[in-house]
Order: sequence, then structure tokens, then C-alpha cells
Amino acid sequence: MNCRECVEHLYEFLDRELTPELEREIRDHLEDCPPCGEQYDFEELFLKFLRARCRTQGAPMELKKRVLRELFGE
Amino acid sequence: MAKTPSPDVSPPVDEKRASFEREALVHLDVLYRVALRLSGNPSDADDLVQETMLKAYRAWDQYEKGTNAKAWLLTILRHAFINEYRRRTRHPETVNLDKIEPYAVFPDVQDEDPQGAFFDRIVDDEVLRAIDQLPVAFRETLVLSDVEGMSYQEIAGILEIPVGTVKSRLFRARQQLQGKLYEYAVEMGYIKGSPA
Repeated sequence: MNCRECVEHLYEFLDRELTPELEREIRDHLEDCPPCGEQYDFEELFLKFLRARCRTQGAPMELKKRVLRELFGE
Repeated sequence: MAKTPSPDVSPPVDEKRASFEREALVHLDVLYRVALRLSGNPSDADDLVQETMLKAYRAWDQYEKGTNAKAWLLTILRHAFINEYRRRTRHPETVNLDKIEPYAVFPDVQDEDPQGAFFDRIVDDEVLRAIDQLPVAFRETLVLSDVEGMSYQEIAGILEIPVGTVKSRLFRARQQLQGKLYEYAVEMGYIKGSPA
């Protein structure tokens, strides 16, 4: 595993979408390669940041009421 | 002795309603967030969610209970969106996704801010605005994955594309979004950035 391959698969690694073998190869590479390790930390932080920023909003109460009214006549 | 047949073969209304509330209505927030990112405004998002729930309730007997209601509902929502979108726009978005150059932010910030602390200074609205600027094919993939936490397989099912396409769209959507947020952070002075 070289740095280019590692970076190429970084998102799949973060998303836990890799085969166990490839996952192990990436993990080993990240432990031995500080620059790739830094990039891993950066990308991980970015994904956490994204999720935190975008999930604060939910359906408005008015919409919930409207849906219930339409479905069940309430 | 044979049991007296029930006069009504379909499940009682109360049962249908209870299972719909338990498995479908609990996803209202997810549907709303996705609808909002797809349609771009709260009023259309409301209508889209409303339509999705009505269709889903009508088709509830076809849904295999206890499987993946969230994915099933999102598929309905997306079809509703596409139909509406096609009806309204004569010239749907024609972005050649392959022409969008991949752009990695990390090498640019590696020296100044490898921890990505500048992200913390960017507020919700700004992030959502940047997402809304992505081409719809990137936007929907990114929202399903990074906001709603769905797997590549689930996303492939909802968007009706191969898993490999999900992977490549997600990769490029994230890079493009990072690029936009980075540019914004430089503009706002949250980070010095490397000279262009």
C-alpha cells in the first residue's frame, strides 16, 4: 500500500465500506505514515463537522400536524 | 371446525395506522431534511414530504414490514421530486459531472491548519448553502451518506445507480464541498490559505 492508494481509499475506509483485508492494509499504512495519518484525521473531522452542522433541523411542527391531518383526518 | 372467516381481509385500520406510525412517521425529520436539500426551499419541501407520506400510506400494504422503511420512503420521495422537477423545468440541470475537476483541500491547509480548525468557525447556514450549490447528483448522494448516514448499498438502491457510482460521486461531492467551504473560510479570514 502506497500513499496514493491509501488516500484513494480513505473515504471508503472512513465509511467502513472496505473489505476486511483492504481495511487492514489501510490501517497498517496509516500507523506507519504520519502525513496520511494527518489527512485521515482531517477527513474524519470534516465528516463529523458536516453531520453536526446539517442535522440540527427537523420537520416543522406545522408539517407534522398537516401530515397527520391528511393521513388520519385529525 | 373452521374458523368463521373475518368479514374484512385487509388488516384493521388501527393496525395499519399503528405500524405506519411506528415504521414510517418516525422518519419525518429525515424526509424533511432530504426534501429541503433537494427542492431548495421550505414550502416545496413541505409539499414533497406530504406527497411522500400520502403515497407511502396508500402503498403501505406493499411494503414488507420490518425491512428498511427509511430507504423505501426516500425512494418514494425522490421519485416525487424527479416528477415534479421534470414537470417544472424544461431544461433540467445539465452539468457534466465528469468535467468537474477533483480538488483536494488537505494539501493546501496541511501546513497552516492540518486539524481543520477553520471548519469549526463555519456556521450551519453557510454549510447548507454550500451543499445547495452542488450539482443535484452530488448533493443527493452526499446528503444521504453524510447527513443521514446511509450505506453505499442503500444509496445505490434509492438513487438507482451502481455502488461504484455512489463511491465516485461521494468522493467528488465531498471534495467539491470542502473546496467551497475552504474558499469561504479564506474569504472570511478564518484561514490565510495558500496564494492562488
